Parts: sequence; structure tokens; C-alpha cells
Amino acid sequence: MAALPRSIASRLAPAVLRPSAARAFVPAYRTYATNTDDPAPKTSSEDAPVVKQTTDSTQIREQSAAEGTPRKPDYNVAIDYRTSNFSPIPKRVMDGSEPGESVAAAVLSGAPIDLQARTVRIYKPTKAATQSGDWHSHHWLMDWDPLPKGHRWENPLMGWQSSADFMNGHRIQFKSKEDAIAFANKQGYEYFVQEPNERRFVPKAYANNFTHSFKKLKIIRTK
Amino acid sequence: MTINPTYLAQRTRSSTSWNDAKRRVLHSYRHWLRAAPEIQSMYTINLPVSTLRTKIRQEFERHRYVNQLKTVDVLLFHSHQEFQETLNFWKQLSHVLKYFRAEEDPKAKLPSNFINGFLEGRN
Repeated sequence: MAALPRSIASRLAPAVLRPSAARAFVPAYRTYATNTDDPAPKTSSEDAPVVKQTTDSTQIREQSAAEGTPRKPDYNVAIDYRTSNFSPIPKRVMDGSEPGESVAAAVLSGAPIDLQARTVRIYKPTKAATQSGDWHSHHWLMDWDPLPKGHRWENPLMGWQSSADFMNGHRIQFKSKEDAIAFANKQGYEYFVQEPNERRFVPKAYANNFTHSFKKLKIIRTK
Repeated sequence: MTINPTYLAQRTRSSTSWNDAKRRVLHSYRHWLRAAPEIQSMYTINLPVSTLRTKIRQEFERHRYVNQLKTVDVLLFHSHQEFQETLNFWKQLSHVLKYFRAEEDPKAKLPSNFINGFLEGRN
């Protein structure tokens, strides 16, 4: 190990104490870039070799068929160590060059690439038909579509159900549809929104059976 | 009593501008390249140093088109975190080989076109 000057800056300078870096020149103080003007970078977001997005979201099914043509799967995506024989093929992997203010969380989180390949459904859980309470239908859920292959097979030893689908039982709750869409955009998921079926309720009053009508009565309620 | 930081510790900082971020990225890249032969000997990886350097280049190129400075800051933090963990021998061989899945197992790749994907059942 080379002899080091006893100052705080040297202790914090990276790779100072490694033999391989001892051959490199190490400045005695840390320099900061004071040149604050930004020269035009040689590469920019426009050079990114992916399809440009016109809107903030990765996929909107509410568009017309002409606008929202589905993107083709991208077979040249770099795989990570979690890719398996059942991994679906992503259409677009987030790489931080997307326009918009949202954080490119898929780039930073270290989540598997497979998650960006799978479609996510954003929906409101339906009201129970058996009861009139609606305590479950005030939030929105995000659910993962099952894998086309590998979501279930029979264990050869015991006959139990095995699965390679790690998002099988996951649901995320949101307070509103916009929150769920913002989350899907931030994480780079392909999503589609399933609008809830609102129940149509006709307000009725018993007294309306006896109101005056100028036409002939259809049902005569009194003798 | 003074607290001594671990080897290769770095104080957290944000980049002041794109120029600063570019400088930090290039310095980080150069540290990684210089450390490649040592990583190969420490973890006794059966790949040549050029493969390690190509992988380092690939990982940096993956984030070439990031357009937000804060994202670049976090990526720089991740890069230095991996650097410290690797060179302090806090990792094990399997952790380092996570980056070399494609080199180790050439059959673990996505299908090359639609027909292969259709036949495998994963499109």
C-alpha cells in the first residue's frame, strides 16, 4: 500500500487504497466542475434507438385503432439474470430517455426486465351481487395478466400446482385511476384500464303510482 | 473519536450540472476499467479481462440516453456501490456472475423472431 497523505480528502477519494489504483494519479484535493455552461452533448435522447412516444403513457387502449397500434415485441433486449424460459418478450424497456416529468423508476429499481414485458390490468373490483353494500368498490386495483406459458404445471413428485409466475398473487391498491396509471407509467408497465360497470339505479317513490295522469291509466290501482 | 469510513467510501453528492455528471460518469467508468484485472483475479472468474471490460461498457451504455440529472445521480450512486462491494470483496462469485448470464448460458436468451417465440409459447 502506498503511503497516504493524512487528510480527509484523500480518505474519501475513490480507489485510493487499492494496489491497482495506486499506479494512477490521485489528486490531493477533490475538484469540482465549475464550468456551469452545458455544451451540447454528442448524443441526445433523440438518438435513442426506440420508438418515440407521443404521449406519456406506455400504452393507452382508449385511443382509436389507428392511433394506438400495438408496438411489436423487441427481441434484441438485453436479458438479465432473472430471464427464464417462460419470460415474455418486452415491447419497450424503459431506459430513461422517455419525455415527461415522472421518475424513470424501472431504470433505477433493479426490477426484472420481465415485469416490463407483462401487461397490467387496472380495474375497480365489482360490487358483490349478493349484498347491497359497496365497501370493496371504492379503490382501484392493479393486477398482472397471467403468463402464456409457465403459469401453472403439475409437480412431478406430489402432483401439486407449480408455477413460474411470480406475480401470480400480487395486487396493488390505489385510491384513484390516475394514481394507478401514474404508477404503471413510472415503472414502465404496459397497462390497460378496465372501466367499471356502474350500476344504474332508478329512484322510485311509491306516491308516484297515484299522481294524476292526463292519459288513460295503464294500471288502475283503486277499485 | 473519529469515525473511519470503509475503503472506497464516497460522500453522497448530487451533480451540479450535466458537465459535472459527465465528468463523474467518465471517472467512474475509468475506475471500473482499471479494476477489471483485479476483479478477475479476486473472484477467479474464468473469463478474459476483455469480456469484463465489454460487460462494463455494456452496463454503462444501457443508460446512455437518460435525460434527467437526478436519475443519472442515482445511477452513479449504484455504480459506485457496486464498485465498492466488488473491490472490498463483500460479494461472492455468484453475485459477480449475475452480470454474465448471457456469456455463461448462451441458450438463455429471448427468441430471435416471432415464429420461434410462437413455437416456444412466449410471445
